[in-house]
Amino acid sequence: MTRFEYHKPHTIKEAIGLMESLENAKFIAGGTDVMVLIKRKKIAPAHLISLRNINDFSSIDIGDGLQIGGGVTHSDIVANEFIQKRYSALTDAAGKVGSRQIRNVATVSGNICNAAPSADTACPLLVLDADVKIAGPKGERQIPLDDFFLGAGRVDLGPGEVVTGFHLPPFGLNTGSAYIKHTRRQAMDLPMVGIAVRVTIRIGGSEIGCKDAFCTIDSISNILRRLEDEELRCEDVRIAMGVVAPRPVRTRKAEAALRGKVISEALFEEIAEIAAAEAQPRDSIRGEAWYRREMVKVLTKRAILISVDRVLRPDDMI
Amino acid sequence: MKREITFKLNNEERKVEVDPGWTLLYVLREVLELTGTKEGCGYGECGACTVIIDGRSVNSCLYPILEAEGRAVTTIEGLRAASGELHPLQRAFVNEGAVQCGFCTAGMIMSAKALIDENEKPTEDDIKDNIAGNLCRCTGYVQIIDAIKTAAGGGRT
Amino acid sequence: MSDLTTVGKKITKRDAPLKVTGGALYIQDMKIPGMLYGGILYGQYAHAKILKLDTTRAERLPGVMAVITAADVPNDFRFGIMKDNPPLKGGRVRSTRDEIAAVAAVSAEIAAAALELIEVEYEELPGIFDPLEAMKEGAPLVHEEMKSNILKMPWKLVCGDVEAAKKESAYVVSDTFRTQWVTHCCLGTSGCIAVFDTGNNLTMYSNTQIPSLAQNDYIEALAAFGLKGRRVRIIQCTIGGGFGSKLDTYAYEYIAILLAMKTRKPVKFIFSREEEFFATSPRQCSITKISQGCDKDGRLTFREVEMVLDNGAYTSWGATTPSVMMMPISSLYKVPNIKYVAQCVYTNNTYSQAMRGYGNPQATFAIESSLDQLAEKAGLDPYELRFRNANEPGELTPQNFQITSCGMKECMAEVVKRLDWKGKKGNGNGRGVGMASLIHVGGGARVYKSDGCGTIIKMDDRGKVDVMTGATEIGQGSETVIAQIVAEVLGVNIDDINVINNDTDVCPWDVGAHASRTTFVAGNSALGAAQKIREKMLAVAAQNMGEAPASMDIKNGVVFSMQDKEKSMPLSKVLRKVHYSPGGKMFTAEHFYDPPNENFNKEFKGNLSVSYAYGVHGVEVEVDRETGQVKILNYIAAHDVGKAINPMLLEGQIYGGGLMGIGYALGETMIYEKGHLKNGNFLDYKMPTAKDVPPVQAVIVETDEQAGPFGAKGIGEPGLVPTAPAIANAIYDAVGVRIRDLPITPEKVLRALQEKAQADTGRSGA
Repeated sequence: MTRFEYHKPHTIKEAIGLMESLENAKFIAGGTDVMVLIKRKKIAPAHLISLRNINDFSSIDIGDGLQIGGGVTHSDIVANEFIQKRYSALTDAAGKVGSRQIRNVATVSGNICNAAPSADTACPLLVLDADVKIAGPKGERQIPLDDFFLGAGRVDLGPGEVVTGFHLPPFGLNTGSAYIKHTRRQAMDLPMVGIAVRVTIRIGGSEIGCKDAFCTIDSISNILRRLEDEELRCEDVRIAMGVVAPRPVRTRKAEAALRGKVISEALFEEIAEIAAAEAQPRDSIRGEAWYRREMVKVLTKRAILISVDRVLRPDDMI
Repeated sequence: MKREITFKLNNEERKVEVDPGWTLLYVLREVLELTGTKEGCGYGECGACTVIIDGRSVNSCLYPILEAEGRAVTTIEGLRAASGELHPLQRAFVNEGAVQCGFCTAGMIMSAKALIDENEKPTEDDIKDNIAGNLCRCTGYVQIIDAIKTAAGGGRT
Repeated sequence: MSDLTTVGKKITKRDAPLKVTGGALYIQDMKIPGMLYGGILYGQYAHAKILKLDTTRAERLPGVMAVITAADVPNDFRFGIMKDNPPLKGGRVRSTRDEIAAVAAVSAEIAAAALELIEVEYEELPGIFDPLEAMKEGAPLVHEEMKSNILKMPWKLVCGDVEAAKKESAYVVSDTFRTQWVTHCCLGTSGCIAVFDTGNNLTMYSNTQIPSLAQNDYIEALAAFGLKGRRVRIIQCTIGGGFGSKLDTYAYEYIAILLAMKTRKPVKFIFSREEEFFATSPRQCSITKISQGCDKDGRLTFREVEMVLDNGAYTSWGATTPSVMMMPISSLYKVPNIKYVAQCVYTNNTYSQAMRGYGNPQATFAIESSLDQLAEKAGLDPYELRFRNANEPGELTPQNFQITSCGMKECMAEVVKRLDWKGKKGNGNGRGVGMASLIHVGGGARVYKSDGCGTIIKMDDRGKVDVMTGATEIGQGSETVIAQIVAEVLGVNIDDINVINNDTDVCPWDVGAHASRTTFVAGNSALGAAQKIREKMLAVAAQNMGEAPASMDIKNGVVFSMQDKEKSMPLSKVLRKVHYSPGGKMFTAEHFYDPPNENFNKEFKGNLSVSYAYGVHGVEVEVDRETGQVKILNYIAAHDVGKAINPMLLEGQIYGGGLMGIGYALGETMIYEKGHLKNGNFLDYKMPTAKDVPPVQAVIVETDEQAGPFGAKGIGEPGLVPTAPAIANAIYDAVGVRIRDLPITPEKVLRALQEKAQADTGRSGA
């Protein structure tokens, strides 16, 4: 049994004040990582400063996009229908983290602050252009998530600073996103590879909607083929990869190769090849590098297809 | 330094003197001697220690005891009715053969209870999703899933 | 048999109410006043000399009551079947799980802190981790006093003339198959509490699944420790899973005994999950070369198997699994000519033990995979080949197994029907079907001098029954099955039966919960005792009612005349009448059942079991050609169980075994790098979760085994035996690649698909 003092501030200001005044202190949110690290004797903080009792810290607010509080858990995300519809990749990821018990207490900000290459919510937040909201002794600031990740296990948090939440911009109905987590087991697993995609599609003249042809159980590949003449164009795209670099990364070459183009499955295959070439996976007991690279290729294409599908056939239209 | 905290345990206010470094599981098992909740791994990877806190299933092995302060904790010992009658889930686990060695059982039932309390008609996928964090080596889960279905589908009498 | 009241019924598990309320007490939950907590220091290296071991700082830590090392083990005591395993290792470590020091302290926390204060210096030595390398001349020796790393256990079975049969075969296939290290993953970790009384008699609170043999082991140890002739009592707590992991005694148990002797206080050990992974003994990995042949009509002509097994650094039951592997090799299907040679090899890996199936899954993986290859070569549907060679009742197999009941063909028919075998086979659309069969001991297994089990029954004045059995409950439901059998014979309600099965001071001898023997052997023992006490009661009741005992029966706790239903008396009344009459007596009965099976002779032949269990598994899979992932669409597990004493519990064995088999086939593996376990946790060791459960049907085929209690045979292990080859065969049917080493990971499937694509291109280009 380890020894530490435990503090339960009610405001962020109080939390930051404690962090400044205490020696060898660490913030703890859901605790599913911090407690494991302590039990495995990887860290030995003298003080834990809990973020679980901060007032108004667990809210999800809609308006000017999406505001996710620092105390929002993965289960909170999964239960939010708006996120499921408009920020689907985030729901995909949050629902696949650990177990229900873990999701019930583990926070998204905690997942991000660990900066593990395998953090499931990192890739979706990257492709959804999330900003990280940070508070600290010197005040508040907001930076793009992409800038927040510095490297393996390192994030842009100064002494006493804490993540207070995320801001995601609004996306139109012509935007779809998806996250695919590639695992050995169907649950309780870390990704061998994680791929998140967001696409925004401009549809040449015609309206998006539930055309009869779309509302079938047909595969998205076939629907795309049928829509070849419509010249569906990729207006914007983000692709992010987990577990293929020291930190979750965007694959900018692949994004550039897709942006502005008329979409087709053949093109997605090319994009996937580019993403795979950009990946720098390593061998570990959790997976072999060659296989991870191969999966980047397969899953990038699949994640793009799902994202496109979600634009063309949103759930509530079927 | 020991601190005294109060929380609701199985519908009863409890005052306990705790060390801040203790987990909820440690307090349950070693201090309060409620040994129905098991430790299978200590790292949140097996679910044997699952309890319900404010309606949600939680791994008590990773739960700092001071966070329990002021909250409502339910353990396997709190499921039976005052009359001693088994909870419908407990009855279903007995009747459907969902118990073998029994070490995962308490945690499994607590996960299932949190589920059916929030969703009266869970699908098989809902059930699997909610107990995926509760490892069982004996049963192959089939009869556990059946038992939860039974308890959810009108097992409450 | 049709008017059975309790046997054959879905009776709920006797211990389930206690378990669902959290009331069952496992070793983790036990406390004894004054108890100390033990901890073990393991070596850091797979092979090293210990240059210095200093425990002074640990001894000085307040709260530490004793620290022991190899120097504290009297008389160079060693345990294990080859007596090659000291409880504490001195001078040298041979695997990363080697115990080099142990402490007892007033709390678990202090014990853990004390271990960190022990100073050790090592000189690392070259290790040997590959059994094939370890067999070579000049390989570093794991045990320097031995001349070779190959164990002196010459496993060799020869039946008929394999060389002649090869020449006469129309089709022959040969290949090599490998299986991996896997572990039991009991949810309750290992542990014990050792307590000495003032007379130096030992009570051990234990998890063991072999109480009588463990008792024997401890008695031997006490003798070596200077306590010859003292008594040993074993009290089993509720056991949090067995699966073979508790079939041998472990170093920590002897360490607990030594620490309890030294401190004169009870000493408790509980393994952490990490310890459970690296310091208990897993199923060994195997390398199997197999050749099989058939004639032009598809009749099997011979089977030749050479096997190398990684024994690890010390010897436990892992080294004896070839005795069970011989069974499928000689007797799964009708094969007239057999040759089998197996070698167990010391390495600096963890040492291997028994695990559900006891070698049978490894052997069956090779046999059944190879059989599909043979079918393809012979141009036969794999089902057709199997059906033509299926075992049948009345057969005497080449290893001299006398097959009594056998439902293999019935099981096969169930699989073919429920899987739509003919509709789904060979479609080559990424989906495919596969099957594999099994034979296992179903009527005990005479691997020890005795294969027996005793039962004592006593009845009280109120018609309540106490059944004391040697059989161990490890979650499988033996307690319930025994209660059902006794209730059926005595004609009493099952709630009137109390089974006592956890105390060697009370319970008769039993060889242990292994070999799927409990329902058969302990069931027959209970049946015998129940019949004896029934006869006594009927005799007295008949006398009281003026009837002949033969015309009396008991139902629902009432004795009655079958001729004149008016003549009846509650059992309790009969019992009281006998008890409270002059010269009164109370009823007890005992019965020891030792099945009429045979130890192997020097040629490894003999009727190992009184009856044999059969089963056939069929599976439909879908293979993702891009990712190599395998999805099970449908799983049929058909088992010949003789008679289902309790269909619900029996299905539980099949479901549980089946999913364990699926884990073995598709995901589970202990990743060792130079003797160090890299994935000893539930996150990285991929034991299946609830979301990994495929649609599965457990099909019970009843063949009414004459020697079994009410016709029953064993079912504890068979559920996982044919799973891996059934899946491997289905993958081959789906996408045309043969995976020869377990587990069948997506990487292996994808690699094989890529190689196949290259080969196909090359072929079409040429």
